[in-house]
Amino acid sequence: MRLLTDTTSKLLAGACAIALGVAPSFASEAEPSAATAEPPAADRGMAIKARKALTVPLEGEQYIDNAVVLVKDGKIEAIGPAADTAIPLGYEVVDLGDQWIMPGMIDLHSHIAGTFDINDTVYLTNPGLRAHASVIPENSSLRRAVAGGVTSILFIPGSGSNMGGWGVLLKTGHDHYEEMLIRNPGSLKLAQAGNPEGFLFGVGRSFMNWNTRNTFQRGVAYAKRWEAYEKGEGEKPQRDLQFDIVNSLYKGETQISTHTQIYQVVNATLSIVAEEMKLPVYIDHGTFDGWRAAPRAKELGVAAILGPRSIDVPTGPFIRWSGSNPEKIGGVAAGYQEQGMEMIGFNTDAPVIPQEELSLQAAMGVRYGFKWDKLQTVRGLTIIPAVTAGIADRVGSLEVGKDADILFITGDPADPRTSIEGVLIDGEKVYDPIENRRRW
Amino acid sequence: MRFPLHVKAALAAGLLFAAAPLVRASFTPPTFDDEEESEEGEESAEEDGPDTRYFAVVGADIHTGTGEVLRGATLLSKNGKIQAIGYDIEIPGRDFQADVPSAERGYTTEVLDATGFRVYPGMVAIESSGLLGTGGDFRDSIDPFDQNMVLGLGAGITSTGQGSSAVKLKRYVSDGTDVDYDFDGVVLRDKWYTTMSYNSANSRRSLREDLERASQYIREYRKWQEDVKSDKELKEPSKKGVNGSVVEVLTGQIMAKFRADSREELLGIARIAQEYGFRPVIDGAREGWTVADELGRAGAYAIVTPRERRDKNELLVRDGGSSIENAAILHAAGVQIAIKPGSRGVSLGGITGRDIMHLPVEVGFAIRGGLPEEAAVASVTTVPARMMGVAHRVGTLAKGRDCDLIVTDGDLLHYQTFVQWAVVDGKVVYDKEAELFFAHIRPRAETEVAPLQRLDAGENEEEEEGDEDDDDEKDKKKDDEDDD
Repeated sequence: MRLLTDTTSKLLAGACAIALGVAPSFASEAEPSAATAEPPAADRGMAIKARKALTVPLEGEQYIDNAVVLVKDGKIEAIGPAADTAIPLGYEVVDLGDQWIMPGMIDLHSHIAGTFDINDTVYLTNPGLRAHASVIPENSSLRRAVAGGVTSILFIPGSGSNMGGWGVLLKTGHDHYEEMLIRNPGSLKLAQAGNPEGFLFGVGRSFMNWNTRNTFQRGVAYAKRWEAYEKGEGEKPQRDLQFDIVNSLYKGETQISTHTQIYQVVNATLSIVAEEMKLPVYIDHGTFDGWRAAPRAKELGVAAILGPRSIDVPTGPFIRWSGSNPEKIGGVAAGYQEQGMEMIGFNTDAPVIPQEELSLQAAMGVRYGFKWDKLQTVRGLTIIPAVTAGIADRVGSLEVGKDADILFITGDPADPRTSIEGVLIDGEKVYDPIENRRRW
Repeated sequence: MRFPLHVKAALAAGLLFAAAPLVRASFTPPTFDDEEESEEGEESAEEDGPDTRYFAVVGADIHTGTGEVLRGATLLSKNGKIQAIGYDIEIPGRDFQADVPSAERGYTTEVLDATGFRVYPGMVAIESSGLLGTGGDFRDSIDPFDQNMVLGLGAGITSTGQGSSAVKLKRYVSDGTDVDYDFDGVVLRDKWYTTMSYNSANSRRSLREDLERASQYIREYRKWQEDVKSDKELKEPSKKGVNGSVVEVLTGQIMAKFRADSREELLGIARIAQEYGFRPVIDGAREGWTVADELGRAGAYAIVTPRERRDKNELLVRDGGSSIENAAILHAAGVQIAIKPGSRGVSLGGITGRDIMHLPVEVGFAIRGGLPEEAAVASVTTVPARMMGVAHRVGTLAKGRDCDLIVTDGDLLHYQTFVQWAVVDGKVVYDKEAELFFAHIRPRAETEVAPLQRLDAGENEEEEEGDEDDDDEKDKKKDDEDDD
C-alpha cells in the first residue's frame, strides 16, 4: 500500500532493489538504469575504511587498526574494526588504503572567522560585546583552516580590553553562519594582564584584578536574581546586556576563556575566577612560566589550552618580566605535563600562528619535551579542547553519535610532513585536494 | 696562517676590476675541483706532526648527502678534512700505535662513539642573520662565543649564507689543542651573488642595459686578448659604464639573485637569463609553480619558504597565488630548490617553528606539498652549497670535503629530532648535553653521556677495566650516602 502511495525517490529506490532481488531479468528490462538505482546520495550513508583510526575518546582505547566508520545524516553511525563492522547495503564505500583518520581539530583561540573589529576598546570592560557579529563564512583563512584539518574554532575578541566580550564556537567549513554555529556564547573572553595595559592611560594588574572581581561579583549577583525569578522567588530583574553572559556562565552553559600568562597572572585567574567566583574557566595561552601554576590548576580542574608561544626562554626582558631562571629553553606544554596536568590542549591565536598550523603547535610541544606516548598530541588538538569548551557531545573524537568531522591523513598528524587528503564536516566532504587544488 | 687556495681564488675573483691584471687575463671561472685535488695531494704527502689532528665518528648510520646511507660506519678526518668514510678504517691512535703515548705518536686523535645515532652533513642554510657577527667582513666582526652561533649549531647548521658571503659557524672551543682562533676559516666565500632586480619598468630597463653593456665588454675584451698578441700596442677596451658585478655573473664567477614572486616577473627573469646565458637564483618564487617549466628550462635555482603566502591576483585569469606544492612542482621541472625559513634569525620570544632554529620544520612543509625526501634534504645541504659555490667543501660527506657534520638522535627532518653533536672542521663544537639550552629535553642515556674519547697518552683498551673500578667506587659512595 505504502509503495503505491509514496512517491519519494528513497522508497522507489527501495522498490527497485526489491524488484531486483525477486526478478532481476524483468527489472533490468523494465528499468534500464536499474544498476544505478541506489538510494540518492543524500540519503545514503558513507562507509570509510582506513588503516588506522585515531578515535581519541576521553577514556579508553585511543585508536583502532583497520577501522570502518559509518557516517549517516552527518553523524557517526558506527565505528569499529573492519572485521566486526558490517557495511550496510547501498552505503558509499570510501577506501582510504593506507591513510589514517582522526577527528577534526579544534582551536579554542582564533581570530580569523571574520573581520578584525573584535577589539573594541571603548571601555576597559566589555562583557556584552559579541564576536559573532563579524563572522564572514567561507573567508580565505577559514578555507585554509579546513585544508589544515581545523574543523571547529572558538572565534573570540582580542585582548586589548580587560573583558573583550562573547566568543562564538563555529565549524569552519560551511557556507552560512547558521550551519557553522556550534554555540553562542562560545565563551567570555577575559584578558588578565599582558595587553590591556595599553588601555587609555594604562592600567596595571592590581586594577585589572579588582575589575575582574568587581565585574564578576556584580554579574553573579545578577545571575542569582534571575535564578530566583525563574524559581518564582523574586521580581523580574531588569535585563542588563553587560551581564547576560555571566548568567550563562553561572548556569555552566559557557566558559571563560582567559588570556592569562606568567605564573602570577595564571595564579590570579585560578584564585579569582575559579576559586572565588566558582565560574567555569580555562587557561588560554598559559605561557612563559605559567606552568608553575599547573598543580593548582589541576586541583581546581582547570584545563590549559596553550599557545601560541611554545617555549619559555627567559632572555633579556623576559627574565625581568617573568622572573624565570635563565638557564634553559623550557617547553611550555612539557612544563604543565611534568607538573601532572592532563588537560593540556593547543591553540594558535590565529593569525599569530596561521590557523592551518594548529597541528604544528603540538609538534613543537613535543620537540620541547611534551610526551606524546598516549596520543596526547592528538588529544590536545581534539578531545581536550572539546571537553574544555563543553562541546564534547558533538565534536572532539570519533564516537557513535558525534558529528562526522573526519580528517583523512597520511600519518602522525603533528608532523608537518603529513598531508591532509580529505576533510568531512558534518559528513559533508568540504575539502578534497585531489579534486580541487591542494590548499595546504 | 696561510691562505687556503679557494680563498685566494675568491679574492682574486673579487679583485677582478681592482688591481689584478694577471687574473683578468682569463675569464674562466675558478675550477675548485682541480685545486682540491692538488691540496689533497699535498696533505696526504704530509707526515704526521705534533699539530696533526685526527677525528673519527664510529658506530653511526652515516647519511653522506649523496644518496648513500652507511650503517654503523666510520668517518675519519685529518686536520678538519674527511679522509675516509666506510668500514674497516684504521683510526690512528686507536687501531695502531695505540700503545705509544700521544706525545711520542706525534698526533692527537678524538673518537666520537655515536652508536645508535645518525650522521648527516652539517646543514647549509642559504640565508640567515645574526648567527655570527653583524656582517661586513666576518673576519673582523665575528664573535666566536656568540649564543646565536651555539643555537645555530644546535639546530644543525654548520655553514650559512649571510649577506652575500658564505660563512662557517666556527665556534671557539677551548680544548687546549687549538689556541689560535681561525678567523680566516670562517669565510668560505666572500661574495657569491649580486642582486639583480626585475620588479619595475625602470629596473627592467637598467638591468637589460647592464647586461647588454657587460656582454659587449666581454666580447671586446676577448677579441682584445687575441689581438694584443700580434699588436702589443693595442689598447685594452674601456670599462666605462660597465657594471663589474654583471660581468662576473656573465662569466660564471658569481650568481645573480632576484627577489621575485609574481608569475610575470618570473617569466621575464627566465627569458632574460636564457637570452644572456646565466642561471638566475630566484628568492621567493611564490608563483613559481605556475611557470615551473619555463624556470626549469632557464636552469633557475629557487630559494623558497613553503609556508609563505601570496594571494592570487584575481584580475588575472591564469593560476596564481602561493601553493604548498610550489617546491615540489619546481623540483619536478628541474629547478634546484633551497629552503629558508620565514624568519632568518634566532627567535627566542617563545613562538617556535618559524625561525632559523627550525629549518627542518620548514623543509617538512615542502614534503607535505610533495617534495621528495631526498630533494628535501638537498634543499638544506647540497643545493645551497652549490648555489654559493662551496659544494666542494660543504654540504656532503665525502673524501676531501670539510669535516662538518651533525650527529642526530633520529631522522633529520622529524620535529622531535635533536642534534646531539655538531662537528666543524673535525672538531666537536656543540654537545647537547654540555649546553644549558636543551640538555633537559630527552637527555641521552647515561651510557652515552660521554662517548667522546681523547686518545692521549696512556689511554687505550685497558681503560675499560678502569671504568669498572670507577663503577665500584661509585657504588661504594652510594652505599655511604645511603647510610647517611
